[in-house]
Amino acid sequence: MSPFYLPVGALPNGDSMIHVFPVIVFSNLCVNRELHCQKHHDKHFALTVYIVDTSLSGENILSKKKSTIWSFFSSVRLAIVLLLIIALIAMIGTLFPQREAAAELAGRIPPGLFSFLQKMQIFDLYHSVWFILLMGLLAVNLLICSLNRFPAAWNRFRSSPIPRDPDAFKDLGEENLFYPESDVKKATDAATHLLKKKYHSFKQADEKGSVYLCAQKGRFAHFGVYMVHLSILGFICGAVIGSVSGIDGSVKILEGETISVIGLRNGGKMMPLPFSVRCDKFTLERYKNGAPRIFQSDLTFIKNDRAVRSVKLLVNHPVVFEGFHFYQASYGSVTGKKATLALLRDGGRRDIVNVSAGYTFDLPGKEGIFKVLRVEDNMMQMGPAIKIAVHSEKEAATFWVFRDIDRIRQVIPDVSERVPVFNPGLFRPYTFSLLEIEKKYYTGLQVNRDPGTPVVAAAAVLLISGLMIIIFSYARQIWIRIDQDDGRVRIGIAGRSIKNKVGLKHEVRYLLAQLKDNLENPK
Amino acid sequence: MINTAILSWVTFIYFGAFVFYLFRMILEHPFWGKLASWIAWTGLIAHSVALIIRWKASYDLAIGHVPLSNFYESLIFFAWTIVFLYLLMERQLKNHSIGVFVMPMAFLMMAYASIAPGINNRIEPLIPALQSNWLTSHVLTCFMGYAAFTVTFALGIMFFVRKVVARNSSGVRAFIHLLPSDDQIDDLIYSCAALGFIFLTLGIVTGSVWAHYAWGSYWSWDPKETWSFITWLIYAVMLHVRLMRGWRGVRMAAMAIVGFGCVLFTYLGVNLLPSLHSYLT
Ligand code: HEM
Repeated sequence: MSPFYLPVGALPNGDSMIHVFPVIVFSNLCVNRELHCQKHHDKHFALTVYIVDTSLSGENILSKKKSTIWSFFSSVRLAIVLLLIIALIAMIGTLFPQREAAAELAGRIPPGLFSFLQKMQIFDLYHSVWFILLMGLLAVNLLICSLNRFPAAWNRFRSSPIPRDPDAFKDLGEENLFYPESDVKKATDAATHLLKKKYHSFKQADEKGSVYLCAQKGRFAHFGVYMVHLSILGFICGAVIGSVSGIDGSVKILEGETISVIGLRNGGKMMPLPFSVRCDKFTLERYKNGAPRIFQSDLTFIKNDRAVRSVKLLVNHPVVFEGFHFYQASYGSVTGKKATLALLRDGGRRDIVNVSAGYTFDLPGKEGIFKVLRVEDNMMQMGPAIKIAVHSEKEAATFWVFRDIDRIRQVIPDVSERVPVFNPGLFRPYTFSLLEIEKKYYTGLQVNRDPGTPVVAAAAVLLISGLMIIIFSYARQIWIRIDQDDGRVRIGIAGRSIKNKVGLKHEVRYLLAQLKDNLENPK
Repeated sequence: MINTAILSWVTFIYFGAFVFYLFRMILEHPFWGKLASWIAWTGLIAHSVALIIRWKASYDLAIGHVPLSNFYESLIFFAWTIVFLYLLMERQLKNHSIGVFVMPMAFLMMAYASIAPGINNRIEPLIPALQSNWLTSHVLTCFMGYAAFTVTFALGIMFFVRKVVARNSSGVRAFIHLLPSDDQIDDLIYSCAALGFIFLTLGIVTGSVWAHYAWGSYWSWDPKETWSFITWLIYAVMLHVRLMRGWRGVRMAAMAIVGFGCVLFTYLGVNLLPSLHSYLT
């Protein structure tokens, strides 16, 4: 299969695309039915014709069938439609809660509707059959489209311009010509010097007193588009690898605790790790306004009962251990079992005691014994509280002691009278007050392993380099003709470029000026 | 704070520049164009100075960070990039008429930043997730992209204004004869969209790298990510229909407007949806 260029000369309608779909059948050659018509430069078009020699394989009928599918998938129209549908689906996904968040919706809409939406995978749209199918189609589209067009780009890359290109000098404007006061030899030397300095490849042809020079640069620009499209395939591959063999889990570890099992995000299953992790310490620093400034876990990785590695894990600074990435994701606290109490005896002493649930203690004045029954982090939405039972020989009382009793009294001034069990002074002559309940921090870690990440990273580099090449570089060919016109030496410069015509014009003008300068003021 | 005071002044300067660009169009004397351009440059310099002062002020508060970290700062920076990009373009094209369509965007953004309810213009410390060098490159590239798309949008609007005015041939003819031709606008729309596409791509990639370090996953389909992806797809479609299906003129101008709708939704709309990026509000 070898594509070639068929110059068709000037076509009148300067800008519009032309689609030609002739079926040309040579004796034994069948021309692929889609002919790509590409704009090559202002006035000249080149038809890239793929000639498929089907006579050798004897598969004419089969290949016809194949080529219907092939041309379906090689069409850019399909690509556009696919990109729009993907955009639409992605948009729908932002309107419905996804994954865990969907549970909340279940209570608000009819169960029938919910289960229908669930069956349609609306609640996990980005991992649904729909989405994967579309991505697959896009990948096939991209692959076939690129395969279809690559030979032409390869040829454009490989083909170097011929010096005596008749098209190049057709209708060369006056502004592209000048008449130096030197002979052909000198002009040729100057032009050769200039082209060799500025371009990569250089060629020359001589003919009856005329000299043709040509040079080109930026041939790699033809590959920019392929890099971009290949990178899209790379992203898709990376995502597939990640979803097939990646692990996305999380775990909460209390200060001092050790874990060796994580919860998986998808499906909520548990997964054992081949090692265990201990949280030695959790540190939280706050700004003056209360927002967290730094939070950090001191972790120790333990393998076969031996502490292998100790690290400090900070947000934005993940740690890798045996291929698992650990991220500081969140933190929180749970109520510990300890509380600090203050005991005030009427007109007497004030004692501070540290207690925990089940703790039994003699009252300082020996009037009785009190016992801590419960320690609550947030009792009936009124803040931390502990439940105390006090009994002496004469009486027994059970009541709650709130830490924020002053605030509660501001809202309900007579709370102690109305709800006696909320009265911290129920056992006379003592008044209890709860100073603080111990809090235990836990650290929330995200635990991942995604072998697709390097592929995605490579694709990202490829994508950006490809786009840079597309935008900032362009293939350009330059011709210089030195001939005689009415006995005078004449120099003409022509250029050709698929993109950036304005830049080309500037460049030709620059070359003319340089050449003029070199010839008129030789060093 | 001095920086916010300067920034409120800049809002008026941009408005002034817009008015003089309009004078240039209506009174047709080049003087007004030069004046408008000069005022816009003054505004941009004052704007940059205010940003630098704000940056320094954050270090004086011992919470030093680039002023790109909350909604107020992002609006201000968005306006800055629009004006910056526009003025570069103006220098290249030597055409002052586009300013009439671009300056209002910058002006409105600045005005919104100072008067919209609930916008906090104080310098806030960064929560740990935002303490990353990727924050700067991510926000910088995203907003360069957004600004290029804003200019693309302004050009799209200009295209339609030119069409409508040209049709009602009476009276306001003068207004449009200074505008670039349809073909020139079309070329500009394409170039700006392509530039925006590069920057948006860079923005998405740097954002993914950051997410990879901060949350352990380079992509998590959070609504803001998803919408930036949608925007990216729409502009990819825009490039393809032009290159491969030969779309020009009206259709490209319409695409420029649709694309900008996506940009706005990515920037503002998604805050209506729950998101990791919600720190921006
Ligand atoms: C998300 C996906 C895609 C992105 C980001 C993308 C990006 C691009 C870009 C930036 C260009 C511009 C090249 C230039 O300015 O010269 C381009 C051109 C092109 N794209 Fe895509 N593309 C995507 C998907 C596709 C698909 C699925 C097809 C499948 C047929 C396709 C076919 C083409 C073709 C044929 C060209 C013109 C190439 C040329 O000028 O030779 N693209 N693409």
